[in-house]
Amino acid sequence: MITAGIDIGSITAKAAIVDGGKIIATKIIFTGYNAELAGQKVYDEVLIEAGLGKTAIDKIVSTGYGRNAVGFADKSFTEIMAHAAGAYFLNPLIHSIIDIGGQDSKAILLDDKGKVKNFVMNDKCAAGTGRFLEVMARALEVNLDDFGTMSQKSASPSKISSLCTVFAESEVISLIARGEKRQDIIAGIHESIAARVSSMLARIGVQKPAMITGGVARNSGVVLALSKKLDMEMEVSPYAQVNGAIGAAILAAAL
Amino acid sequence: MEKFTEFKNIVTDPYTYCRKYKEETGNKIVGFTCSYTPEEIIYAAGALPFRLFGTDEGIHRADMHLQSYCCSLVRGILEEGLSGRLDFINGVVFPHTCDSIQRLSDIWRLNVTPKFHIDLVLPVKLNTTSARQYLIDVMEKFKKDLESALGVKITDAALSDAIKLYNQIRKLMMKLYTLRAQKPETLKGRDLHSIIKAAMIMDRQLLLKTLSDIVEQTQKAPASKMKPETKKLLLTGGICSHPDIYDIIENAGGVVVWDDLCTGSRYFEGILDEKAPPLEAIAQRYLDRDICPAKHAGLTDRGESLVQMVRQHQADGVVFMLLKFCDPHAFDYPYIKEMLERENIPCMLLDMEEQLPAGGQLQTRFETFIQIL
Ligand code: SF4
Ligand code: SF4
Repeated sequence: MITAGIDIGSITAKAAIVDGGKIIATKIIFTGYNAELAGQKVYDEVLIEAGLGKTAIDKIVSTGYGRNAVGFADKSFTEIMAHAAGAYFLNPLIHSIIDIGGQDSKAILLDDKGKVKNFVMNDKCAAGTGRFLEVMARALEVNLDDFGTMSQKSASPSKISSLCTVFAESEVISLIARGEKRQDIIAGIHESIAARVSSMLARIGVQKPAMITGGVARNSGVVLALSKKLDMEMEVSPYAQVNGAIGAAILAAAL
Repeated sequence: MEKFTEFKNIVTDPYTYCRKYKEETGNKIVGFTCSYTPEEIIYAAGALPFRLFGTDEGIHRADMHLQSYCCSLVRGILEEGLSGRLDFINGVVFPHTCDSIQRLSDIWRLNVTPKFHIDLVLPVKLNTTSARQYLIDVMEKFKKDLESALGVKITDAALSDAIKLYNQIRKLMMKLYTLRAQKPETLKGRDLHSIIKAAMIMDRQLLLKTLSDIVEQTQKAPASKMKPETKKLLLTGGICSHPDIYDIIENAGGVVVWDDLCTGSRYFEGILDEKAPPLEAIAQRYLDRDICPAKHAGLTDRGESLVQMVRQHQADGVVFMLLKFCDPHAFDYPYIKEMLERENIPCMLLDMEEQLPAGGQLQTRFETFIQIL
């Protein structure tokens, strides 16, 4: 059975095609302002990537904040359900998932069978999310993709104490003015994200092994800061950013 | 149903309703802030008991008087008082419950008035022998305070009539809740919420009549066609002023079958003994009723009755609605959560401001909670 998963996030739209136990193709595009259009586009592109026609797909599940805009999906699930299914598919031993996306972050606890036991969401503000990092990258005039490697050069990370994105941005600007090294500031930003996310995790209690998903997982600096803070290894899948879409495709197979 | 429109209009714009009511009847209107207010006595005094719900819009006056760690309900009520929008009320009753309401009372007395202002100093513990006599004395004093404030005499006959009326209303509310729990699709959660809110505002005689009609119609409605996968939820917490919650839950594949909110079942729970001396009967209801965490009656009474409520209505999960900075309810949450967990009842915490967080994410939380039930 060949199934597709479409994950419409706040910044990017992801699609995955899964055939039984195998990932055939994945695709990531920018969501833009029209979630419905993004869903169609990413689906078309993933089909091309897979070299398949629409008729080859048995079932489609949508997820992500724009899940209800995907009219052609057979069913929709929340991103929490999708991330759980995706992580369990990639590694059935996983018990905790930390998902840091474009505008919110979540922690999910799984039981032995991959069922969601508990979850928390930070849905109050964008601090510690992808959007937060984008703002910081702009202030620092550094390419976001270089954040991970740069921060690892830091010997003494700066202290960022503001929790709010807007205040943290002005804090960063004053750190720049004070002549602090970019790498230290970036490392400080990663530590502040790790602190925020781990306090959210404390509310449900993390269990090993843990996996980090969502776009921010691509930033090795955040992953490192988080494993230090929580004192545990963080598994990062190469599919971290498309984990939700893969999970959706897995859920589609069970429809 | 046009009946709902009537309720909805009252709830969306209670002030216009009250002004009109006052003009047409010449009756006085007495505001109250908490479900520990003996409305029966106010009604017997010939006045309309009117629950203050506050506002969530453009709060700036209240911020000058309140610390930031004060719940938005109290903040909203004070804002309305200071703004002059409540000028139609003849006075306000402040039951001695949580700290925030007590301080609201002080600030109100010093800044709002010149209307009358009554503190209803209830005992904190409600499960002792002395509490009962004390509570009766409090009711006695409240009656006298109200008599002098309104310049009327409250007779025993009027009290008995009020008790009978409230008993009828409460029985009907209970019936409506029960019917809806059995066939949830006959009445939207949002509409039920409007009804119960309107019940604390509108002319109680009119309420009784409209309520009877609605109960009758609901009774006649065909039996439940609820989808088998629909999950039944129970709301707990203090006051809910978010009709949107019901829509979000219903869209997420759930339905609220019961609650223990003070703008819910706690409002209509408890039938008064019509044969007992009126004030004693009124006092007794507060002793018997499920407590709110601003009062005390046994350390785990509330949790136990919540578990029982879940069982009775076969709810699949509980949503704990916590208004930010509401300390009595926040204190209750950890032990209630533990208790529910021990009983294998899933529970979700919804911490909220007077305004709900952005729609999409709330929908996601509810959908996930319902999907994992
Ligand atoms: S929650 Fe308790 S103290 Fe607060 S308004 Fe309701 S009954 Fe009163
Ligand atoms: S019980 Fe809580 S919500 Fe109600 S007035 Fe007191 S602090 Fe506010």
